[in-house]
Amino acid sequence: MSVEIKLSRFNRIYRPGELLEGKIITTLNSSISYQSIRLTLNGAVNLQVRGGLAGVIESLYGVIKPIPIMKKVVDVRSSGKIGSGTTEIPFSVILKDPKEKNLGKFYETFHGGNISIQYLATVDIARGYLHKPLSATIEFIVESDKDNLPPKPIPPDMVIFYITQDTQRHTLISELKSGGFRITGRICTQCSLSDPINGELTVEASVVPIRSIDIHLLRVESILIGERIATESSVIQETQIADGDVCRGMTLPIYIILPRLLTCPTILAGPFSIEFKLSIVITFESDLYKKPSKADPVSSKPWMATESMPLELVRTA
Amino acid sequence: MGLEFRRRDYRAEELALSLQRGRADTHPLSASSSSSSHLQVEECESGKDDFCDPLRVSDGSTEMSSSDVNREDACTEATAPSQLKTMKGWISYKKMLMQRFPVSKTSPMSVASGVHVKGTKAIEKSAKDLHSGELDDDKIFDDKDVKGISQQEHLSKLHALKDEINQYWCAGDRVTSLRLSIKAVRSLMDSSAIQIYPTLFVLATDIMDMLGDLVWNRIKEKAEITEENFKADDICFDAKETCNNWFSKVGSIRELLPRIYLELALLPCWRFLHDHPENILKRLVEMTRGIADPLASAYCRLYLAQCSLRLSQHDTGFLIACINDLKLVLARLTPARETVNGNLYGNIELLLTLVEPAIEYVIKCLFKDLKKMEISKMLLALGLSSNLSILSKNHSCISVVLHHILKELPVEYICSNAVELLHLIEIIDDRSFDQSLNFNLLGHRLCELVSQVSNVHLLVDKFIQVLSCHANLHAYLMLADAYLDIILENHLGMLLNVILDGILERVRDERIGENELVILQSVFLKILTHFGDIEKILALNHFADFLDMMHGSARNSINMHILNMATRNGQIQDPIIIEVLLEVAQALYNGLDFSNMRKDEYQHPSRLISRFVYMVDHGMEVESHLRFLAQCRGAFSGINELQENLVHSSNNLAVKAMRNGNSSMSFVKSCLAFNEVTIPAIPANLRQLNLYIETAEVALLGGFVSHLDGLLNAAVNCLQMIDPVNVMQMAEDGDEAISLICKLCGMSVMVPGGVEPEVAYIPKRLLSFLNSQSWILPRMKAKILSAIVFLSAALSQNQLPYHAVSGKVICNYQLFVGFPSAHQELLSLSHIALQGIVNCVMQESSKERGKLALESCNCVASSFMASDETLEACSKLVEIAKSCYSADDKFLQSTLKFLDASQFHLLCNSGPVG
Repeated sequence: MSVEIKLSRFNRIYRPGELLEGKIITTLNSSISYQSIRLTLNGAVNLQVRGGLAGVIESLYGVIKPIPIMKKVVDVRSSGKIGSGTTEIPFSVILKDPKEKNLGKFYETFHGGNISIQYLATVDIARGYLHKPLSATIEFIVESDKDNLPPKPIPPDMVIFYITQDTQRHTLISELKSGGFRITGRICTQCSLSDPINGELTVEASVVPIRSIDIHLLRVESILIGERIATESSVIQETQIADGDVCRGMTLPIYIILPRLLTCPTILAGPFSIEFKLSIVITFESDLYKKPSKADPVSSKPWMATESMPLELVRTA
Repeated sequence: MGLEFRRRDYRAEELALSLQRGRADTHPLSASSSSSSHLQVEECESGKDDFCDPLRVSDGSTEMSSSDVNREDACTEATAPSQLKTMKGWISYKKMLMQRFPVSKTSPMSVASGVHVKGTKAIEKSAKDLHSGELDDDKIFDDKDVKGISQQEHLSKLHALKDEINQYWCAGDRVTSLRLSIKAVRSLMDSSAIQIYPTLFVLATDIMDMLGDLVWNRIKEKAEITEENFKADDICFDAKETCNNWFSKVGSIRELLPRIYLELALLPCWRFLHDHPENILKRLVEMTRGIADPLASAYCRLYLAQCSLRLSQHDTGFLIACINDLKLVLARLTPARETVNGNLYGNIELLLTLVEPAIEYVIKCLFKDLKKMEISKMLLALGLSSNLSILSKNHSCISVVLHHILKELPVEYICSNAVELLHLIEIIDDRSFDQSLNFNLLGHRLCELVSQVSNVHLLVDKFIQVLSCHANLHAYLMLADAYLDIILENHLGMLLNVILDGILERVRDERIGENELVILQSVFLKILTHFGDIEKILALNHFADFLDMMHGSARNSINMHILNMATRNGQIQDPIIIEVLLEVAQALYNGLDFSNMRKDEYQHPSRLISRFVYMVDHGMEVESHLRFLAQCRGAFSGINELQENLVHSSNNLAVKAMRNGNSSMSFVKSCLAFNEVTIPAIPANLRQLNLYIETAEVALLGGFVSHLDGLLNAAVNCLQMIDPVNVMQMAEDGDEAISLICKLCGMSVMVPGGVEPEVAYIPKRLLSFLNSQSWILPRMKAKILSAIVFLSAALSQNQLPYHAVSGKVICNYQLFVGFPSAHQELLSLSHIALQGIVNCVMQESSKERGKLALESCNCVASSFMASDETLEACSKLVEIAKSCYSADDKFLQSTLKFLDASQFHLLCNSGPVG
């Protein structure tokens, strides 16, 4: 005896102005009668602050009250009976009815470390007091409406970067400091979510052999707690563009496909913000590399050089 | 009425019975156009995978790998038939790669990449994850420990992985399939086990190809596309979405090398998204620059070139970029010659041999559909220009790249730009490849179409300059060999002498090794075939010196060529040439080892020597010719065929001398004496017999009766010596023996019989020979007996059928006119023979029985008068014949007619049988 929801789109992506369509599928051994079949759509921004980032009191609560985006309850069927075997009950609900007043802005689905924006569809088949209700939940993914989006392609917004021993704020191993290195390139800082991040990078000089060059994609989640802002950045994707001591003067392409669920358009809302950053991380060959180190922040590794830049992600039409 | 010989007039019979003779238009042996066409041997097609050089096949440990590739064939054919034609070359290339760098079974390696799968946790990953763009939990699989396992184990793990990937795919767990594929291709990141890298590459790309096909087929199925030429617009949203998912999954791989390989595997899938996915290749080429390891990056580019073939159309720009990048990587490896120490260089050399096949393949791809117009442009793009200013502006070209380009360039282009290319090779001299090998290759390519080489004089001048800089004998010989055809073709005799001088000069300083000998042989052969005339060769500078330089099989081969060439064009008369050739032949003979060589190994040289001896002609100087023959007899005593030829030649000489009439009888005698000594040394009895008869004929011609008797005696003795075992085994030998005996009988007609030995001496000995030898079959016996009957009948005639030309020998009919005892003796002999014939025919059981009976019958009827005895014999014979033939058989009919005409009225003919 089971019930499940099947959405019309296999990628489960819907826009606020669109109809959420699908089927409620029941598989039953014997026919049952029900009082109602109810579909509940729920959208909310869930925030949480982990210990360390927040103050003592907040950390006790952990979870901060979620910010509701939408809540919609639709009765698909009023009381009746479902026969045994497999039964499909279609449904169709508009997500954002212009006539209705919504609770909040329809942010795009996002699953982060501290912030998650999630939309759920739940079906409940109520069968009176004597029977346990049947229910099932499915997540659907919301992307911005196409109407208000900037057209493609968005203007290329490239920044030129150069990384040398002098641009580093942390201490470097002595060979790097004395020998010097120079790595230049350019990379876009504004990017459509459906396009790869483009750019290029050239190792112009380096006395110490290079071990690896990686581009780190970071998300920066900020939450307003009282008067303070708790910010946490975490790496969501690492992409190696150079493996080993590459030829000097050769231009290496930067080409990064954005991970779908881990990114969303940059959001700067009042109570929270979701931003992204790119870090170019150059690892040099060093004996120190092999020694285990306890503290892990990038800045404390003297055989690495980094350069970070903000990245604005945009949903385009 | 007793037995009586029939009186015959042979001349009248011949006139009456011989057919009308007419002159033929064509010689029966001359090749007519119609008959020669179907005699031509059809060129048999060589094996399909000729890409694979059999010399590179090593003996050990390749079975596993090749069998796997075979299995591969079946697999890929089943999955993607559309890509078959590009796959075929790829499969054979992979086979070649595995064979060229075989994996030893024992040497251990450390594997940090952790190909082994730890658990089955992966299965828990549901298809739901297919939507997530990330492959985060690689740690499940990662086996960080460095394990010392053998290479073989490592490879078999990779094999198992392939099957596993397929299984997961079939079970619907495509995410795990992808994860395992990434795992597999990660093994290519570790190029520390440098020797097995090509094998790793083949195995990993097998997996990549398989995955690529699986994904392609899946998306195609989703898109519900059937035809091959679809447009991206035809593809439905869901299929595109799936495709995008695959690319974003691949895009989330952190490591560069696996990401490139997987994207390459999925490269054809771009067609679902774009109509012109070719542009993606440019980015992939650039991404490959990020792989610093020279070996890994070279093989990555190799796979890139291979995958690009799967796209229907593409320009070659990306391949040129690919090669140029590769050149930069190699340029770092091969710094100036002085700065590298030996040990390091050894490693680099090994690395270069491993990288070379990759370069070869990429360049092959580049030249695949290149149009002629584009070549110059392309060479310029590759930094290949003989114009120094352009070359220095561009980064230097690596000679190994140049080598493979030279290999692929169309021969017409090479021939019309020969000077430029030579110049180019001269400037490009780095450690990655031996410069002289490039010179060598150019030479060989030019010789492919030697008639179209432009600017020959400029080219050859330049070449001589280059050549003179090579002090090393091997390099000098190699280059000389490569360009020799051009020099010979253009009749630059002076330069040829310069080269020969150069070789000699270097030979003085260095010992000739086996390798040099091989090239020297090739040089020699080219000169020989070019001149094709022994006189011109002898006129060359240092001919003898060169000949002396060589030894062993190379020397033999050259000697054989010289002999072959010298004996091809008619007789050899110049005494100097004869002397040189005799030396050559002797050297060749001394090189033969009859006891240790197989027959087919020494047969050809033996024949050449025999032919040389046979072709020598001293003209009128018959005596010196005979001396020459005697010299040869001593020098080549091991060659039987030659000894036989000596006898023939000596007989020829004798006849020639007699014809000319000016030489004395003693010369002919010495010829006969020469033969009498030579023949017994020949081991085969039948050959001896033949030669004895031939020599006897000569003796008869010259009227040397004593020699004649001795020779015939020796011939008959020979008969007794025939080894029955040999004859029984070889039916032809038996037949030959019989025909020789018949010939002997025929000749005996002319041999004058004295009192001692008497007239019927030879037939009598033949009869006793017949009775003593059990191996002689009845039909053979019947033939010999018939011959004896003919002989006896002929001897008893007043007019012999033929007689010796010279009047010196007294004929029997003159000797024995009216001498009854001789006549009686012949009759009694014939009597025995007649009995024998009838018995033999009756004993004969083969299907030739009827024919034999009729032949014998003819013999009897033509030799004897009709009498009771002969009639009875004939009747029996005819009965036998009738039992074998039908009544209307032509031979039977004509025989019966002949019998009638000869007054042989058979009993059975006149009355009813019974």
